[in-house]
Amino acid sequence: MSGRSFHSLFMVASCAGAALGCYLVSLRVASERASLEDVETRIVLAQRDLRVLQTEIGTRGRLAQLERWNVKVLALSAPAADQFLGGSFELARLTRPETKVDFQAPVVLASAPAPEPKAGPIGQPDTDDAGAPTAQSPRSLIHEASLKTETREVPAKPVASMRQAAQVKSSDRPVTAAKPVDKISVDKPGLAAAKPVTKRVQLAKNDPLAPLPEKHLSKPSKDSAPAR
Amino acid sequence: MNAPSPALVAPRPERLRLVGQRRQMLAVMHQRLMFGMLVYAGIVALIGLRILWLAAFGDHAGRKEGLTSLVPDRGDIVDRDGEPLARTIDAWTIAVHPGKIIGDKLEIARRLAELMPERTEEQYFALLKSNKPFFYLRRRAAPGLVEAVNALGEPGLAIQREPDRLYPQTSLAAHVIGFTDIDGHGAAGVERAFDKYLSDPATRGKPLQLSISSRIQQALEHELGDAMTTFSAIGAAGVVMDVHTGEVLAMTSLPSINPNTPGQGTPEAHFNRATLGVFELGSTFKPFTVAMAMDSDVIKSMGQIYNCPDALPAYGHFIHDTHPFGRQCTVAEIMEESSNIGTAQIADQLGTTRQKAWLKKMGFLDKVEIELKERGRALNPGSRWGPFETMTIGFGHGIAVAPLQLAMGYATLFDGGVYHPPTILKHGPDNPLQPGRRVFSEDTSYRMRSLLRLVVMKGTGRKADAPGYRVGGKTGTAQKLINGHYSQTINLTSFAGVFPMDDPRYVIVVMLDEPKATKETYGFTTAGWNVAPVVSRTVSRIAPMLGVAPNMNREPNMGEVLPFVHETKE
Repeated sequence: MSGRSFHSLFMVASCAGAALGCYLVSLRVASERASLEDVETRIVLAQRDLRVLQTEIGTRGRLAQLERWNVKVLALSAPAADQFLGGSFELARLTRPETKVDFQAPVVLASAPAPEPKAGPIGQPDTDDAGAPTAQSPRSLIHEASLKTETREVPAKPVASMRQAAQVKSSDRPVTAAKPVDKISVDKPGLAAAKPVTKRVQLAKNDPLAPLPEKHLSKPSKDSAPAR
Repeated sequence: MNAPSPALVAPRPERLRLVGQRRQMLAVMHQRLMFGMLVYAGIVALIGLRILWLAAFGDHAGRKEGLTSLVPDRGDIVDRDGEPLARTIDAWTIAVHPGKIIGDKLEIARRLAELMPERTEEQYFALLKSNKPFFYLRRRAAPGLVEAVNALGEPGLAIQREPDRLYPQTSLAAHVIGFTDIDGHGAAGVERAFDKYLSDPATRGKPLQLSISSRIQQALEHELGDAMTTFSAIGAAGVVMDVHTGEVLAMTSLPSINPNTPGQGTPEAHFNRATLGVFELGSTFKPFTVAMAMDSDVIKSMGQIYNCPDALPAYGHFIHDTHPFGRQCTVAEIMEESSNIGTAQIADQLGTTRQKAWLKKMGFLDKVEIELKERGRALNPGSRWGPFETMTIGFGHGIAVAPLQLAMGYATLFDGGVYHPPTILKHGPDNPLQPGRRVFSEDTSYRMRSLLRLVVMKGTGRKADAPGYRVGGKTGTAQKLINGHYSQTINLTSFAGVFPMDDPRYVIVVMLDEPKATKETYGFTTAGWNVAPVVSRTVSRIAPMLGVAPNMNREPNMGEVLPFVHETKE
């Protein structure tokens, strides 16, 4: 009797429970959805703020402003054509170590133990390299080297001016095989006087970087004729 | 005990009837009560179901509407690299409802005058006492000011956020972008031309991408502005254009305006010289005459000889040269030294009919083709177009075109002779390049390269050369028409250049209006002295940005022209 009489009550209770469960699920879904929408809204608001800030930065750093700073302070200019490099090889070429002439370094006469040339007219090529090597004075070595430019010989200059010219030019002159010879000549004035001056030393009289004489600069070049 | 017991007393018939009636009434009442209860239960159930339904599927109370995507009130305008040129932001607006003011109006007027000194205390007081329902005190107010006004605590002062158009780059490309009026509708430039696109809710979410590059625009504006100041010119215009697509990379007109405050610009500054203004651009027209003659087989070789006397009598007039040859000269020399006399003879050989047909094909007789609404119509002699006019048009006098049209002509000439209409919109997947129409032959286009390179290498445009970038081009100096007469002193100088000339990719046109001579120009006001250096500097700046690598070893085929140039002994 009791089971039958409570049957309907159970039914009602279970229905109510199921309905409640469904309701809870849907409530949960709704709240999740709400929080998702909250996040979405926050994203949009953040995007709006980003936009405002970007606009502000863009306005403060506008190109006209940068240009003004550049004109007044930085003075940067467009790179010239020769400042562009064609590739990695050209870049690597730039990093080639610069050879500097160290005047303090001890003079090492690399050619000192050179073989004694045959007793013959000076200037003739050595025929016998295997000749008995004897100690040779630097003087004779230098003499031999400068003989090659015999045809371009110029009148010898006073020792003092020669020395000056050699000192001034030796720092920016490209490194060549004849370097030790120059050094010797600087160190020993007497030798330098004996040595005929080569063409290169004569060229050093004009500094290629010095400004041109006034008359060329003052008047407009003839080829800049007015255009139409 | 004399009371009769009910059982013993038979009920009276009327009483019995009464009982029956009462029972009937009771039944009806029960019925009605039941019906009422059912209706009530039904309503309760309906409400309950509705609540359940809403809980399960409906909107909940806390949901915010909108704000799920960011669609501005008016579309952005960006340049070809995506840099914003125009944006709509929410700006603070301070307004007042005089009717709603509850505080002391004199006191409020005093405080407002302190905060916003653009009006006096009396003016504020008059405004507050007026019968007007609403007016703005300040649009685009700074946050600090808004805070201070809010601190006044007056409910009649309305502080609200309103969408406002902002141009972050201020006056950069002002004439291209244009500006909006107070209601947010485009009033000039792209803002006006694409007003529908920018304000339509369906399309405004996507920014409008222009072909303008802001960096190139800045370089052009700066160099041109510099020259304008140096030579005290009253105006200037410049165009940089892609030869192959017709895209306008930069277009400027000086003096410029600030679109953030368009009302402050003078009418002169609002005038777009690059598209709306038409000018007689002079010798920059000569290459077209030569190209027409080449295509029409009038010129068969760059070495074709013309007689170039000191002055050429033609149809009752005399044509002069600034630097007369006084001898016979070749086509290459005519172009190199910009000889009017030589070009006039070429134009005369070409004839009026052919010249008209060519100019029509190149679009020089119509309005300039561009999306902007500010477009000028080219001027020509019209019915007076006789043989003498043909000669003057040959060297660029008697025909007025917009600088953009000139750029378009050069782009056509050096894009293998194919015409692409100029456009302000970037070409891309959404906006593919339409096939152009052929105007000149490919051979003519090729041969013109060396001719214009010659002008910059040895001729009148030497100052336009940018080392390594192979600039070719033509100078143009036109006398200005003042009160119906051509002035001998007031000029309009222009330069149309193309680079790199061995494979043309970009065309640059610059123009200065009424430049004055300076010490550096030795008193000259011709194009070779004032606009050509602008081209040189601008090209040096923009060419690396455009991906044109400098190369000192490349040149167009100069063998086409160099044999026909008489070299004078220096």
